Amino acid sequence: MERQCLVKWNMSSKSLENAIAELLEEFSFQRTTRELLQTALETRETAEPTVVHQGIAMPHCRSILVDDFMIVLGMSKGGIPWPEDKVNIVILFITPVKPSGPSEHMELIKHLAQTLRSGGAEKILSAGSPDEAASILKFTYQESNTDE
Amino acid sequence: MNKELEKLISLHDLDVMISDLANKDIRKQEKKLGLSPASAVKELQKMRQVLADTIDRKHRDMYDRLAGHYGNAVVPVVNQRCSGCFTQLPTAFFASPDRNVQVETCPSCGRFIYWCD
Repeated sequence: MERQCLVKWNMSSKSLENAIAELLEEFSFQRTTRELLQTALETRETAEPTVVHQGIAMPHCRSILVDDFMIVLGMSKGGIPWPEDKVNIVILFITPVKPSGPSEHMELIKHLAQTLRSGGAEKILSAGSPDEAASILKFTYQESNTDE
Repeated sequence: MNKELEKLISLHDLDVMISDLANKDIRKQEKKLGLSPASAVKELQKMRQVLADTIDRKHRDMYDRLAGHYGNAVVPVVNQRCSGCFTQLPTAFFASPDRNVQVETCPSCGRFIYWCD
């Protein structure tokens, strides 16, 4: 799948809310947009935590606040309570609301489901670098502007 | 940004989330991931009600009418056009320094409009 993905290696967050905020900071959103997206993603997590595999969470939504796919992969060595199961990998994505409907959003979920179910979950949990993690999900690693 | 406008945007995104989880193809993929879309929808509908109750009655009624008619009630302004009906907005709209300070609607289709910051 030809999608670019940011990676936040060594996340410092210790809660679901902080983890979402930390990952959203990887994008250059203005404050209001970031806050509204945070609310949307947290709402989805409140409805049902998106732990898709042991150690992996996948917060996601579609929003009119973005005009392109926004994908960021986070890795936490210590783990993040989500909120009960601890996760080490967070795959966060936001897809745009288009007149054509949710087909692209669905394709991305399908792609991730297939990849994680066919051994990708175990591989990504033991990935040793940001580009390796991105490549396991068949995304193109995009260096973050906030990288040191 | 106007707080009421923020709520309308959140309501729109929540409606998209609910409609996505009701979509049978998305539901199938979410189930493959081990998620429970049916129970998530129920929770989201409760949260939608709570949010909708905090929105001014006039705006909420308008939102429901627009969403029922067009499928989307809130749209961004892109290239000085309403991205719902693609009508070029009057100069007074995009020249105003008060973007997103008030709840504005497209003079052509009536959808709520906002400027991406």
